[in-house]
Amino acid sequence: MDTFIQLTVAGLSNGAILALAALGFVLIYKASGVINFAQGQFLLIGAYVVWALTVDAGLHWALAVAGAIGVAIVLGLLVERLILRPLVGEPTISVIMVTIGLAQVLGALVQIIWGTEPRAFPEFIPDDVVTVAGARMGENRLWALGLVVLALVVFAVFFRRSRYGIAMRAVADDQQAALTMGISVRRTFALAWALAGVSAVVGGILIANLIGVSGDVSNIGLLVFPVVIVGGLDSVPGAVVGGAIIGLLTAYTGGYVGGGLDAVIPYLALVAILLAKPYGLFGEVRIERV
Amino acid sequence: MKLRIGAVALVLALTLVAGAQSRSTAPAIKIGAIFDRSGATSDVGVPYSDGVLAYIAYINSRGGVKGRKIQLLSQDTGYNVARSEAFYQQLRTSGIVAISGWATADTEAFKARVAADRLPYVSASYAESVANPEETPYNFFIAPSYSQQMRIALRWISRQNPGQQVKVAVCYSDSPFGRSPLEDGKRYIESKRLPMSYDTQCAMRPGGTDFTAQLTRIRDSDYIIVQNTSAPASTLAKDAARLGMRARIVLLNWAADELFVTLAGAARTGAVGIQPFGTTALKVPGLKAPTQWLQSHGGGSIHRKGIHYVQGWYTTAVLIAAIRRVVAQNEDVNGPNIKTALETMPAIGTGGVTASIKFSKSYHAGQRGSRIFRVTRGRFRQIAPLTTP
Amino acid sequence: MATTTGVYHTSYRADLALRHTRLEYVRLALALAVVAALPFYVSPFWLHVLDQIGIAVIGAIGLNILVGYTGQISLGQGGFLAVGAYSAGVVATKSDLSPLVGVLVAVLVTAVVGAFFGLPALRLKGLYLAIATLASQQIIVWLIVHWDFLTGGVDALVLEPATVFGWTPTGDFDWYWVIVGFATLATITATNLFRTGVGRAFVAIRDHDIAAEVIGVNPARYKVLAFAVSSAFVGLAGALTAYWTQILTWERFTLDVSILYLAMIIVGGLGSVAGSIYGAAFMIAIPAYLDQLSLRVSADSILATDLPAIKLLIFGLTIVLFLVFEPRGLARIWQRAKDYLRLWPFRY
Repeated sequence: MDTFIQLTVAGLSNGAILALAALGFVLIYKASGVINFAQGQFLLIGAYVVWALTVDAGLHWALAVAGAIGVAIVLGLLVERLILRPLVGEPTISVIMVTIGLAQVLGALVQIIWGTEPRAFPEFIPDDVVTVAGARMGENRLWALGLVVLALVVFAVFFRRSRYGIAMRAVADDQQAALTMGISVRRTFALAWALAGVSAVVGGILIANLIGVSGDVSNIGLLVFPVVIVGGLDSVPGAVVGGAIIGLLTAYTGGYVGGGLDAVIPYLALVAILLAKPYGLFGEVRIERV
Repeated sequence: MKLRIGAVALVLALTLVAGAQSRSTAPAIKIGAIFDRSGATSDVGVPYSDGVLAYIAYINSRGGVKGRKIQLLSQDTGYNVARSEAFYQQLRTSGIVAISGWATADTEAFKARVAADRLPYVSASYAESVANPEETPYNFFIAPSYSQQMRIALRWISRQNPGQQVKVAVCYSDSPFGRSPLEDGKRYIESKRLPMSYDTQCAMRPGGTDFTAQLTRIRDSDYIIVQNTSAPASTLAKDAARLGMRARIVLLNWAADELFVTLAGAARTGAVGIQPFGTTALKVPGLKAPTQWLQSHGGGSIHRKGIHYVQGWYTTAVLIAAIRRVVAQNEDVNGPNIKTALETMPAIGTGGVTASIKFSKSYHAGQRGSRIFRVTRGRFRQIAPLTTP
Repeated sequence: MATTTGVYHTSYRADLALRHTRLEYVRLALALAVVAALPFYVSPFWLHVLDQIGIAVIGAIGLNILVGYTGQISLGQGGFLAVGAYSAGVVATKSDLSPLVGVLVAVLVTAVVGAFFGLPALRLKGLYLAIATLASQQIIVWLIVHWDFLTGGVDALVLEPATVFGWTPTGDFDWYWVIVGFATLATITATNLFRTGVGRAFVAIRDHDIAAEVIGVNPARYKVLAFAVSSAFVGLAGALTAYWTQILTWERFTLDVSILYLAMIIVGGLGSVAGSIYGAAFMIAIPAYLDQLSLRVSADSILATDLPAIKLLIFGLTIVLFLVFEPRGLARIWQRAKDYLRLWPFRY
């Protein structure tokens, strides 16, 4: 029982980090229908910029985080303007490949600017051990859980009450109709990418806190896919639930089954969901019969 | 007549001068090197490859090997066998006489090739499987093999707990490097009839960010032996500390370094390291040359650079020593001669950094023992002198 | 030289010919002559690169059949290459059968596996299919790493040199002829495939699968068939990789390889066999050239110290720039060049 609680807690907290990483992904897809294969690299850049500003430039961590968020927003806007806009109307494969190419470019730039040596992430998120329901975990994971809940609440409010949030939902639903209502589709896309950048900074900080600042931070970019497929590509609560499910599955498999199966179980879950419920648990279903 | 003698004399003089010049610009000796500066093991690969490059520059600054410079043809293949293999194809037609290798996967994959091409391959992989000249005549490495390090670790554990039953678990990188010592550890326990249980379920996924799940399965271990590089080892140590596990961590050579101490935070205290190359804090004469070279070439303090820099330095030094021997014996500098030189040359001292390094015709690992260290007050400090099981 | 104006055919035979004008035949002959002469003039390094390109051509054609002609996005190329390579590897290491049998087994096994992974394609489209194939890629690699008994797990599977009818190709020069032979076979097969009803059914499905069903093309059958045929080509490429390199590790078949092949067909031109060839050559020759360059520049330059990052950067930039500026790839660029020359001095 003790192991079960420990694994559950570990799984949920890992899932929270996955959900934060997936959040940016969902935002971009929700607004513009683009699958961002470069999400992992956004996380990477977020982590490195915070590290560079804190350790290299010696700024206080709050300023560093603010600076990183600024950089992420600018990056998101640039990507949307320079790379995605010329590809409006191109087939899906082209859009997928361009974000893949972008992922390589960003990863390479990080390597060139900062090298590949792993560094310790500045300790402004406390790492003390706390005991929750009999299970031990680092305080930084509690932070992750807290941030996810906060993000969930903020985005729920944003999409229901704020003008920009409603505009984003309108654009996701039908761009032409949104245009006729006077909504600037371009600005909405830009906003989505900017918000994705912000969530990437937060996600990147949490991951780098756990494993140090190195190229490995971007590996989580691949795990985002099982999360959003299980949850639904265009659903924010879906990302949270999907993150929790994938986190728990990985933890239980690693803890009870072992043998390295935990590395592949997210993808098996992905395939299973695609065959059973392709739009995920919370995604919007598009009916099409062939 | 005078003019003719003068002309002949002039020609003779010019020929002598030309001949003297061509003797002093003797052809460079080419060595190939495969590095990992960007892949899964780049955390230790970067300082190691810096050490290799530094030693070559150092030796060239002192005139090379009897006036012949060493030319290093190197590439970062990111711990990827396919890329290393493509680079190897490039190297074999470039006139190299030896290779400084890195990954276990590469070393295993190339062992037949280097034997067929007759190129001595001095690797940073210390897998026992390439120490046997019957199977891999051209492979060498200068440290005790991973299996040997495992035996040293197990012997130390049994000495700490004489007669008592202990639970030992091994956490290892899920790769050929990680799995290399597992079987031999089991065999050692059985052959010495040690009262130990031996669990090898804890496979650490390369690039994994959290090992809590694997650790819950070995929750009540007394010791965890870690066969991985320092970055993932530090994550493991932190996860184990967070779970409140009482197991003591025993790191094998690629994890027992300064980077582990930096990254593991509070979890580092008490971790034991089997490190054949010692630490940069040891007061031994052998550290002087690499420390000075690093300092004077803008690399900063050797304590920050880490012990793997010294490791790369001395690995290359051994290879160059063999080449020097070949040149001193006025032989052709080629693969088979360097191989023979490695096997027959007397033990090479490293100024106290390691035990002296000696190969033989029947065993191609240069050492069999290692010092043991433990992290106390923020640094690895020696707790046992050179131990050979 | 004669330029094409008003090309018309007076017999079915002429209509079905591979080329329609004398100039086209001359260009084809020139290309074949270059291919035949190359191995005698290039350095050993470039010969090795040419062999790599030859195998990649086969794989790229296979992927293009699926992605370019049938419109099914697949991120699982690496996985299918692995299936082909390890099938051949298992035949080579665990039996005494001829390498030709190994190749045949690889082709068939990969086709079956491809068809199996094509089944989700019946229910999924576009994006979702891409993600499903991504999952298949990761799952296949995981299976290879963990199916020790069959594949050697994380260790390398080492093959003995292949001997066919008493001849053992040794070295890149011998292998060049083997590889070019298979590549030519693949090219001809693919080109002919799209002159048959099956090929046209694939294209119909890409263009509009609902309309295709309306005119009587069974989408389920042809989608699965597209996966099978494409995977057969990829299996061949995998088998050749196994016998040529003799060292099989899972690292040859990761997601990066899938991305590389997708880049090849995008840069080369989707829906074009010639584009697959151009793309394969381009995406392999450029990094090889950078490798050579790095050995020649000073050891302090950024190219030497950051070579992998530079290669990655250029790879990514190539993809992005081609997609932004010429989404139809090298084949289109070549087409425009030919048109320009054909119509010169007129503009259109």
